Parts: sequence; structure tokens; C-alpha cells
Amino acid sequence: MACSGGGGPSQPPSPALSSVSPGSLPTCRSCSHNICMVSDFFYPNMGGVESHIYQLSQCLIERGHKVIIVTHAYGNRKGIRYLTNGLKVYYLPLKVMYNQSTATTLFHSLPLLRYIFVRERVTIIHSHSSFSAMAHDALFHAKTMGLQTVFTDHSLFGFADVSSVLTNKLLTVSLCDTNHIICVSYTSKENTVLRAALNPEIVSVIPNAVDPTDFTPDPFRRHDSVITIVVVSRLVYRKGTDLLSGIIPELCQKYPDLNFVIGGEGPKRIILEEVRERYQLHDRVRLLGALEHKDVRNVLVQGHIFLNTSLTEAFCMAIVEAASCGLQVVSTRVGGIPEVLPESLIILCEPSVKSLCEGLEKAISQLKSGALPPPESIHNIVKTFYTWRNVAERTEKVYDRVAGEAVLPMDKRLDRLISHCGPVTGCIFALLAVFNFLFLVFLRWMTPDSIIDVAIDATGPKGAWTRQYPSHANGDENNEESETR
Amino acid sequence: MVLKAFFPTCCASADSGLLVGRWVPEQSSAVVLAVVHFPFIPIQVKELLAQVQQAGRVGLAVLGTWCHRRQEPEESLGHFLEGLGAIFSHEPWLQLCREPGSKLWSCKATRWQAPPGPAAPGEDQIMLIFYDQRKVLLSQLHPPAVLLDRQAGDAPASVGDLAAVFDTVARSEPLFQSDRFGEGPVRLSHWQSEGVEASILVELAKWAAGPVCLLLASLLSLISAASACRVFRLWPLSFIWSKLSTCEQLRRRLEQLTLIFSTQKARSPAQLMRKANTLVSVLLDVTLGLLLLSWLHRKDRIGQLADALIPVADHVAEELQDLLQWLMGAPAGLKMNRALDQVLGRFFLYHIHLWISYIHLMAPFIEHILWHVGLSACLGLTVALSILSDTIALLTFHIYCFYVYGARLYCLKICGLSSLWRLFRGKKWNVLRQRVDSCSYDLDQLFIGTLLFTMLVFLLPTTALYYLVFTLLRLLVVTVQGLIHLLADLINSLPLYSLGLRLCRPYRLAAGVKFRVLEREAGRPLRLLMQINPLPYSRVLNTYRLPSCGCHPQHSWGSLCRKLFFGELIYPWRQRGDKQD
Amino acid sequence: MEDEQSFSDICGGRLALQRRYYSPSCREFCLSCPRISFRSLTAVTCTVWLAAYGLFTLCENSMILSAAIFITLLGLLGYLHFVKIDQETLLIIDSLGIQMTSSYASGKESTTFIEMGKVKDVVINEAIYMQKVIYYLCILLKDPVDPQGISQVVPLFQFTGWAVGLQRDSSQRGAVRPELLPLRPHPCRLDPLVVGERLQMQQP
Repeated sequence: MACSGGGGPSQPPSPALSSVSPGSLPTCRSCSHNICMVSDFFYPNMGGVESHIYQLSQCLIERGHKVIIVTHAYGNRKGIRYLTNGLKVYYLPLKVMYNQSTATTLFHSLPLLRYIFVRERVTIIHSHSSFSAMAHDALFHAKTMGLQTVFTDHSLFGFADVSSVLTNKLLTVSLCDTNHIICVSYTSKENTVLRAALNPEIVSVIPNAVDPTDFTPDPFRRHDSVITIVVVSRLVYRKGTDLLSGIIPELCQKYPDLNFVIGGEGPKRIILEEVRERYQLHDRVRLLGALEHKDVRNVLVQGHIFLNTSLTEAFCMAIVEAASCGLQVVSTRVGGIPEVLPESLIILCEPSVKSLCEGLEKAISQLKSGALPPPESIHNIVKTFYTWRNVAERTEKVYDRVAGEAVLPMDKRLDRLISHCGPVTGCIFALLAVFNFLFLVFLRWMTPDSIIDVAIDATGPKGAWTRQYPSHANGDENNEESETR
Repeated sequence: MVLKAFFPTCCASADSGLLVGRWVPEQSSAVVLAVVHFPFIPIQVKELLAQVQQAGRVGLAVLGTWCHRRQEPEESLGHFLEGLGAIFSHEPWLQLCREPGSKLWSCKATRWQAPPGPAAPGEDQIMLIFYDQRKVLLSQLHPPAVLLDRQAGDAPASVGDLAAVFDTVARSEPLFQSDRFGEGPVRLSHWQSEGVEASILVELAKWAAGPVCLLLASLLSLISAASACRVFRLWPLSFIWSKLSTCEQLRRRLEQLTLIFSTQKARSPAQLMRKANTLVSVLLDVTLGLLLLSWLHRKDRIGQLADALIPVADHVAEELQDLLQWLMGAPAGLKMNRALDQVLGRFFLYHIHLWISYIHLMAPFIEHILWHVGLSACLGLTVALSILSDTIALLTFHIYCFYVYGARLYCLKICGLSSLWRLFRGKKWNVLRQRVDSCSYDLDQLFIGTLLFTMLVFLLPTTALYYLVFTLLRLLVVTVQGLIHLLADLINSLPLYSLGLRLCRPYRLAAGVKFRVLEREAGRPLRLLMQINPLPYSRVLNTYRLPSCGCHPQHSWGSLCRKLFFGELIYPWRQRGDKQD
Repeated sequence: MEDEQSFSDICGGRLALQRRYYSPSCREFCLSCPRISFRSLTAVTCTVWLAAYGLFTLCENSMILSAAIFITLLGLLGYLHFVKIDQETLLIIDSLGIQMTSSYASGKESTTFIEMGKVKDVVINEAIYMQKVIYYLCILLKDPVDPQGISQVVPLFQFTGWAVGLQRDSSQRGAVRPELLPLRPHPCRLDPLVVGERLQMQQP
């Protein structure tokens, strides 16, 4: 911190150095926070959560906060890395269990996370995605250490089957003393409130955003002699790949001038390949495999119609991106999708092959009759809907509110766990919380907070990065994003 | 930039004179090689330098003057030395001076022409670095710099600083051959060898080595030509050769001897070192082999061994028979498929019976065979070890057979089960695309498939048990053989000569250098002592390890377990290595 | 010309940093940690011997006692000779190179010398080490094939750990002036920029 002065006269140690525990830090009222984003999902993994974390962090840095990201190691990418504008990412060496999510024991990540929280002087922990075990771990540890917590839920869940009952119970425990929860759509908010039995007042809705400058239409890239339907999604069950495999042969038989372009990779890819082989559609169905995010736009602008077959979706970024590129969007009416785009830009169908085919036929007939608005005008409408700056502003308000709240002391926290989560689960987790606290006390005895050295700020109000390289920080933000994405 | 003067410690007490050496402009360092004493004739000095330059292809020059004030300050000498700069023009001109009675030196570098740029003309900052000429000359820097392919060029241009120093000293070896006491036209002071003890013997050996090597090399080439004869390449023979580790070992030994007695001169230090290492390891090997031979042939140990061998083989066969009997009953309380169990058990029992009769047929000849085989130990311990390994392989041939039968049967069942399981789920393996496709089967196909699947599942435990038992036996044999091979490999690949060199003459193998700061006084140039940093033993081993036959385990533990599970055959390490070569 | 300061290492132990200036172009940094204390030595020896005596009373075999003495002696020798490092020295000679020496408690010294031509930079880097995140000083070596690339990272003071002391005792910073700068500005911004602090050194 003091070191960033760059050789100036030696300054006295900053007050943060002398404080012993981060819990006793005076809560910062002056709207500048030290935020730690925790999630299992981050680059080089690709998806909605990843880009959400990245873009939100960049906009928060721009607004003068200090932001760091904690995730698990991806293959060779481990240790500490810096991204644009000095965004610091900790890739922790934790074991990946399933689907890029780490295994959780509730305890093993405490030493490292505590070390990071202390050395970075973090005041707010912001966890992302309910699929991420690390995010829940971080919430649990942060509460033990007495830090403020915020959680963003990116997905929807059912209530019926055994696995979702269990997950919902865990979510209840995890969110029961989280200060604030952010959902990406109203459907998602309802879902989360019901699942985790929360007070709706502490749940905010802040939608995702896309960068409209990245997704501009380019009508010259598409061939108007044929109609092209674009699908960009991971090829997994949740995204409705089975529906897609039913739609493709039906429509291809009906319209000889129809082509499909499918981008994405996943375990269900083999179904599509079989369909393609069975109906001899090699020249009409193109499977592009895994796409990098920067290539998505080049794929989107080749088509006329965008098809989304998701079976569950909290907030579909893909349809916003497609609409921004000027495509007519056909989608299933599930989750938060109806909230995302106005009626005029989207054709909503039921999640069945028949209904989706009808919707697509409607779109094709509109296209042939020329009733669709030109791509440029669609782009101009969509452009104004969702921006990251807006998201960051609204998130900042959440942070301001959270920073003012009091952290529950240990006894109240235990009370709350027991009363809120049911007698059995509550008691078990209260016991675990006590163990966690004892572990923390042990760690504090082993390496006292005063021994842990303070990390140099790359971002934030006293950021060394911005001082050293003002050109980096002043650079046009849109420009930055387009370079990185 | 600081000017670095490398000065040999042996010249520190030399009389005043001229400094002869090489100037490396890239690093702005001057490597002093020798001191030319007064009196001299400048033309003769230049001639000498030209000679050395021609012999060593290194650009030598007079770098400056050296002044050793013994008693009283000689003002006139100082002026004279300065004046010499005009005769031997060099840029910059060094002036080293040693004060009487004190360890401190003064040093000055003068540039006659002002260098271009704003830097002040005149004197540079100087750093004196002392080095031991003998050690630097004899040592070999690791890793060898890019010098090897630069051998043709006259000077290494951009290699590191120290490599340049080492290279300079090594190339100007002709300069050191002139004798201090010889009456040459020019008197030099530098390091020189004290003379080699028993040098007459060495000379004799050198003189004799040429013809002897020639003779032996021709003999060896004869042998290798004979072994390359077409008769040995016919099918069954070549197959046997490739399976016997003794043949492999003999071939290696032949290669080693060819390398040692080759009449070509070693081109690089690494090759020389390799030759020496091979020689020492062969010598050690043969010595150990002879010791073994003498031990074996004393007190009729061969006979005892032969007498012991047959009962051991019998005993092994008996134990196996007992094991089979146990398996044919209810092993460990398991209830097996009785019919299959009996069939398998009888089949293996018959095999053992065949084996025992074979051994007894061989019994009278075993002592003679052993006696002749024992002679082979004079070729080296490794050959004897390989023969031992082969003998073990031959004596446990029945175990190998059992293992192969068991593994094949098991593998067949596993394959059948996995493909029928796919049929069960409505999938099939697409050979063309190397993936699993979905497929719709008829009712008949499904019925037959399911029936077969059930049968295979229920017969699997019996086969698996036989497979398990014989695999364990096989693994035991493979482990013993592997240990023997490892031992032989260790003897073959240990670079004993390099290790001895590292132990007795640590400076010969240099990993680099280290510096020590000598005491200094304000205003005087910094003085450093350069010492050779010897190579650590681990790196000596790594660098000079002789190429072994690669009988390291080729597959990891994970893949080994996988192979065992799927019933693929496991070979001893040696044969795997051969296959991959 | 010598001065001495004390710092603490990552575990809170004491470290002493000595700086010697031989000449403007030659400097030495010497970091030493406290010698092995008689008390801990006695404690360990007593524990082993007591345990051995306990075993001896159980199985009545005097081999155990002699084995315990052997093990203690061998362990102590091994510890002093291979594990315990008393002092680490960094000698920087302008236009010649950087020399690192670590002296073991038994007096053994291991030295590495890196020529200045091979040094690309000296930085303070950040890494996850065991259950800690630490700063450490390291030398980046040039790749002989690709002049822009880094072939190797050589950590300095890896046994006694120094960079932490720089961090914590910021009021006493002397010759070392940390400044934050990216070493490899990369066109693709998502790729890591190695950020470290440069050790102020008079490069030729």
C-alpha cells in the first residue's frame, strides 16, 4: 500500500498495517470498497457467469473500487495473474470435482481464503453462481471472519426431484446469513426466494448485460439466397439439444433452402451428428464445435434467425446478443426469457418440437415476406437495454447498503442458523460453523494477522496500476472490452 | 562500462614486463595470459604472438605493461613503460603496478583516442579478477557453450563472458608449452606443468596403443560381421535372439569394445569422456565377472548348484500343482462354476506334467551346461546377470504359459461383456468413426445378446480367479527379472570415470565460477578472485550417464493397472524397450 | 561500508539483513537467520531418547537405545548439512553478474553465479506457497533462442525469505525501491501480465 508511492519519502505505515483483524476495520463509508469476487467459474472457462464477473469487475474498477477475483486453478493457469487494468485473479490450487466445480469440505479452503482476505484487506465478499462450491465456501468463511457478503444467483432450479431438494437445502443454509442477494431476472428472484426461504427485501434484481459494440449487425456477411438458422449454446441437456435434434430434420424436409449453423460443444453433440448422418444433411447443418467468445459475433451475423431451445434459463444472454446482431429470435418460453426482450423482437414458443417448429415457420414466413425490421434498427433498439455500466452502478448501490449493515455476532448467527434452517440441518451446520470458527482461531494463532503482509493494490483508489500507467486506466472502456472479448 | 582485467595468479610475482593476452571488446574485458620480461626485442615478441595466433586461432596482442616494484620506486622504469604504449599500440592501454610490500595494486587504463560521445577520455574504471591459469585451462565448462560448432571460426563472438575467458585460455595452450628455463628469444612468465611422472611409460603406452587398437578393432569387426551373417537372420533364430537378454547384453558389450578400440580420435571432450567412462565400466564389469568366476569354480560350487536346481524346479511345479488343486475345489470358500473350473484345472495340470518330464529329461546335462555358461562370466558380470535372467525366464516358462492362457481368456470375456453391454443399452461401436453410436436392434438379436451376456457374467468369476492367481505369479517373476536388469543397467551406465574425476580433481568439471571479494582500500580498483565452481554429483551423473538399454518401466502404474484389469499381456521391461526401439 | 537491519520472515521469525558496499559497482546483500538454538536441540534429543527408553522398558532390547543414539546423531548431521541454512548472500557485480551463496549450518556452501548477459530482469513476484500467498524475489533468465522470452525463473533467498521483510518494514526501505510495473505488455489483455517490482540495479 505505502510502497506504491514509488520511492518517495518514506511514509509512516498506513493504519491498515497496524490493525490486527479485518473484522475490526472501520467500515468504509466513502463508497469505495475492497471487493473480492469468488466463483469457481472464470476465464479461461467460458460462459455467462465468467463474462459477468469480468465485466462487472472492470466497471467497478473504473468506478474506483478495488476488486480481486478468486477462482480455482485451470490446468496450467494457477497462481496469481493480472488482467486488464490490474484486475488481480487468484487461481487457487484446489481439486476440481465435477463440471469445473471444486470439491467442498467446508474447511480445507479456509487457510488460503483467509490469507487472501486479510492480505487484500477485503471488506465485501461477492460470490457468484449457486453451482459453485467455492462460492458457498467463501460465504461461510466470510461470515466466520465477520465480513459482509453478497451473492449473485445466475441459474434456476426445480423443486421436485431429490437432487434439487438437497441443493435447495444447502442453498438455504448458505444464504441464511448472507447480507444481500442479487438475481438476474424477476423469475430468478422468485425462484431463489422460494428455494432458499429468504426475505424478499434483501433480494435485488440486476439483469445481465451485453456489450452492444461487440455485437453489431453485418448484413453483407449473410447470403440472402438461403435462410440460415443459428444456434449458439453448449450442447447439453439443459440447453434443449434433444429438442434441436427433433427440429432439424422436420424443417429441413419442409424448406429446401434452409441451413443450420450450430456453435458449441458438449456431450449431446453426438445426437446432432447422428441426425445429420441419418438424414444426409452434411451440407446444410454445420457443426462448428466450441466457439471462443470473440468468434460468436462472426457466427451470429451469418444467420437470419436465432434459435434458443433452453429448457431452463434465468436470463438468456445469448438471445440479447443475437438480437443485438439484428437476428430474429425464436425461443422457448421458460424462466426469465420473457422478461428479457420486448414482444416485437422475439417469438416465444412452448418447449416442444411442434411448438418450436411453428414458431420457426412463422419467422421464416415473415422473413420471406419481408415483414422483419432491418438488422440495424433492431440493433439500435437493443443497444439501449442492457449495459455493464448500469449493472455496475446498481451493484454499487447494493454494496453501499451492505457496508452499512452490522455483521451478526457468532451467537446470533448460530441462533439464526438453527431457527432458519430447520432443527436437524440447522444444528448440524451450527456445529460446523463452530468448528470453522475454532479452526479460524487456530489459524490466527499459527499465523497472526499482523504477520500477513499487505498486498500492493493494483486497482482501487490508491491503485499503483492507474498511477503508473494512466494511459491504461483512461483508455476508452468500450475499447478495452472489445479487445478482451 | 567497467573494464575487467583477468589476471593469472601465477604471474603475480613475475618481474616487470609486458602483458600479453586477448582483448574481448564485447564484454570490455582483457584476459591476461602471460608476462613478457625485459629485455626483449619488439619484433620477436610480435613473431611469437603471431605463431601462437596461428596455432590456436585466437587473437593475441600486447595489452599493456606490468610493473613489479621490488625495492625502491624506479621512476625511470615507469616512464619507460608508458613509452612502450607507443610501440605496441593497443586500445585501451593497461598499466598494472604492484607496490612493494603491500598487497594492493594500482591499475590504470588509458585510451589514446577519445571515444566518441560525451564520455570523458582517459581512464576507465577497472576491476581486477584473479584466476588460476592451470585450473581454468584444464577445466571444462558445463553445459558446453555453443563453441563446438564455432570451432572453425576464429573467435566466439557473442557467447557469455566467462565462456570467452575459458575459451581464450584453452586456445592459447601453445603459449604455455614454452619452457620457463628454455633459452628462447623471449622470456615469458606463465603457468607451466611440473612434468608428468613416469612419462616414459606413458609415452610407451601411447606408442603401443595405436597398433594394438588397430588389431583389436579388426578382430571386433570380424566378430560383428560374423554375427551379422544371414544365417542368424532366419525367422526362428532372429525371434529367439530378440527375446534373450543375453544376446542383447553381448551386442552391447561388442559395441562398447568397438567404441573403446576405435582408432579414430575423440573429436570433443564429451566423446573423450564417454570413451573413458565406457572403458572404466567395462573394466569394472570384467573384474567383477572374474571374481564371480573364481568363486564359482572353487570347491565345485557348480556341481552343488546343478544338484540344487532340479529339486527347486520340482518343488515349484509341486507347489503349482497344489495351487491348482486348491483352485479346482472351492478356493477361499468361493463357489465357482464347477464344469469350467474342472476343465481349466485339468488343462493346466497336464501342462505341468509335461513340464516336469521335460526337466527330468534335461537333468543329466545341466551340470555341463552350467559349467560352460559359468565361463561366460569372464565377459563381465552383466553378461552373467543376463544369463541368470534368461535362465529364470526359461525355468518359469510354464508360469508364463498359464498367464497367457488366463489373460487371453479373461480378455475375451471382458471384450464380449463390454460389447454386449452396449447392445443392452441400444448402442454399438462405430469402427469407422471410433465412437459409440445408437442403434436399434431386433428382438432376436436382443434376446440372444442378453442370453450370452448373462452366461458370460456368471462364468466371469471363475476365469477371473484363474487370471488373478497366475497374474500374481507372473508379476513376481517379472519383478525379479526387472531387478536383475536394473542391476545390470546400473553397472553399464554408471559414469565411473567422471565421478572419480569429480572426486579427485573437482576443477576439471566446472559448473561455472564463483567470485570472492578480496580486501580493498578506497581509491584502489576492486579485486576479485575467480574460483571454479565444481559440478554437483547429480549433474555429473545426468550429463555423463552412458546410454542404457532403456529398461525403465515404460508405462506408469496407472496404465499398468488398467492393462491388468483389461487382461492385456504384460512383458518384462526389457522386451518392451526393444519393441519401441 | 556496512549496515544491518532486522526484518521478519513469512512465519514471523527474525532475519538480519546486512548490506556491504565494496565499490559503486559491487554490492553484497546478506540475509541471516538465527542459528540453531541449544534449547530446541536439547528438546528434540531428549524427546527421542525418552521415547527410545520407553520402548526399551517395553521390549527389553538394548538395540533400541543404541539405534536411538545413532538416529539422533545422523539426523542432526543431516539436518545441519542439508537442511538448515544459516545465511544467504547475494553478490551483485556490475557488468559481470549476480552470485548467490547459501551457507548451511555445517559450513557447506553452495554457490551459483549468473552472468549479467543472461539476466533479463530482477522482479518481486507473488505466488501461492503452501497455504500462504507470498512475495518473493526472483531473477528472470533470458531465453537464448528467443530474446524476448524467459527461460527460467530463479528464486532468490528462497530459504530465508526476504521480500516479506521489504513489504512490512516499509519505513526502512533503502537501496531497494519497489515500483509496480508490467514486464510483458501483451496485446491480448486477458493473458497474464507478470507484475512485479524491479530491484533497482545499475544495469550496464
